[in-house]
Amino acid sequence: MINFEAALKQLSGSGANFVVVDGYAATLHGSAYLTRDLDICYERTPENMERIVSALRPYHPRLRGAPAELPFIFDAKTLSKGMNFTLQTDLGDIDLLGHIDGLGEFPAVAVDAASMPLFGYSCRVVSLESLIRSKRAAGRAKDLNVLPELEALKEMHEQKRSSDEKE
Amino acid sequence: MTREEHQRLYELVQNPPPGSKMEAAKEYGIDLTLNLRSLTRTPTERVLEMEAAMRFAEALRQAAVADGKQ
Repeated sequence: MINFEAALKQLSGSGANFVVVDGYAATLHGSAYLTRDLDICYERTPENMERIVSALRPYHPRLRGAPAELPFIFDAKTLSKGMNFTLQTDLGDIDLLGHIDGLGEFPAVAVDAASMPLFGYSCRVVSLESLIRSKRAAGRAKDLNVLPELEALKEMHEQKRSSDEKE
Repeated sequence: MTREEHQRLYELVQNPPPGSKMEAAKEYGIDLTLNLRSLTRTPTERVLEMEAAMRFAEALRQAAVADGKQ
């Protein structure tokens, strides 16, 4: 299980540009599904990849599920040569996603991201609309399974907004 | 969320409008009262509640594994 608070502290403290996506984003929008890993969409500039590396390197990131003897150097050069990385760290499992199905890369994910106060930090979280779009685009059974709940939550948020506007 | 908003959303969750996504979710088997309760929490509280449930599920899994070894 991920130590979300510590991971958030590290990433935010480094000044990295990232958006929380997938399971934790669903939780933050009100979903009741459980998740055990942290997925973030990160900006793929050289400066930001350095920030991501400096934030997570102390927690010994390695490729999840890979043989122990498989060489893996966690640095900005490695990040620049790949796109999406599924990592195991001392903080728990963290997925670094450069591209999200149905959305694209960081600028497209960040454009309508919600800003939420979390553990004393201001954290960007993929919008519910974008989360739904990405789940639909991913199209796997586990993604499609959460769509009815996410779409109902969107309706609940809209109902809440419309009552806010009437006041 | 105000008490009035909460009450109105609770009624909607209990009796979703025909053809709505809430009705579809309910028919799919989603318990929307869990979602409504979550919306009354702060984002940090939502994470802490989910993590507590996850830890409980993990403890159950480990107990089952240990039981299977005996």
